[in-house]
Amino acid sequence: MKKILNLAAFAALASHFAVAPAAAADTIQVFKFYCAQCHGLEGKGDGPNVTKDFPVSPRNFTDAKEMDKLSDADIKNVILDGGPAMSKSPMMPPWGKTLTAEQVDGLIMHLRQLCNCKGKQG
Amino acid sequence: MMKYITAASAGFVLLAVSSGSAWADAAAGKGAFDAKGCGECHYTDGPAKEKTIEDQLAKKGPELWYAGSKFQKDWLSAWLIDPKPIRPLKFNSLTEDNPADHPKLAGDEAASVTDFLMSLTSDAVEAGKVKPKKNPKGRQIFTKKMPCSGCHQYVGRKKKLTGGRSGPSLVEAGVRLNPDWILAYMLKPEVFKPVKMMPVFTGLLSDKDMLNVSRYVANFKPKK
Repeated sequence: MKKILNLAAFAALASHFAVAPAAAADTIQVFKFYCAQCHGLEGKGDGPNVTKDFPVSPRNFTDAKEMDKLSDADIKNVILDGGPAMSKSPMMPPWGKTLTAEQVDGLIMHLRQLCNCKGKQG
Repeated sequence: MMKYITAASAGFVLLAVSSGSAWADAAAGKGAFDAKGCGECHYTDGPAKEKTIEDQLAKKGPELWYAGSKFQKDWLSAWLIDPKPIRPLKFNSLTEDNPADHPKLAGDEAASVTDFLMSLTSDAVEAGKVKPKKNPKGRQIFTKKMPCSGCHQYVGRKKKLTGGRSGPSLVEAGVRLNPDWILAYMLKPEVFKPVKMMPVFTGLLSDKDMLNVSRYVANFKPKK
């Protein structure tokens, strides 16, 4: 009986870890599809739209010092409502009608991985 | 009385012949489209098939099932003979430039393929809604409020080419695109491109503002 319980526990654990990488892969795809146009495939703020005429510098997500100034809620506001939601440039458009809530949450986690920082708490 | 009936009959016959001819040209164009293998990169049967990002990335070229509602006929026939890149970057790529290697068609093939493509229309495009004109409100939205210019090239002040590179260029969009399609695309993006890199602006811009932007973009014509 104990062996069966152990097997069941292992199966549950395995399925948990099987789902997590798939969700992470989806988030990376979402990032590359929507965000990389301006922020670059690696999130360094160097996407193909950033020509010499681009009026602002898109956020470099690997800059821990700058990213640490933002809370997760700040990032969410900017993704949903665009740059002006945080008194930043409208060159960051609102994605609230494009992305699902799960995609936005995934992107916030991805940005935290890119900056390797936790951001402003509270 | 007999004269009127004869004249009416002649008119009907003329109409039938001309309409039959258009159908024949579209059918011939479909044949040329298939023979040239255009369907390997472009699908022509709507409605839109893309449901996920994977679906979009699997495509090799833009969908054409509403080409007759999207493009202007004169532009399309000329472009098929001498195609020039519309998106600065390769289709679905953010790193590679457009290789400018779209196949060229001979004049007669281009004419019949144009007839075929112009026969592909969408009911979601309402005719006669957008009149191209200078539009300060549309310009303000395009360049500042919801900066379309971040992703789309256009000719700005002092005839300077400016704007981003991830979206299709809108230089001379008023020659290429049907003004009414520009508005329909903004109002109902899910009909034409359910999965696309451009944000959905429905509910963020009013219908009136979308009309202003459409008028502004439809007025992108060659600078004299």
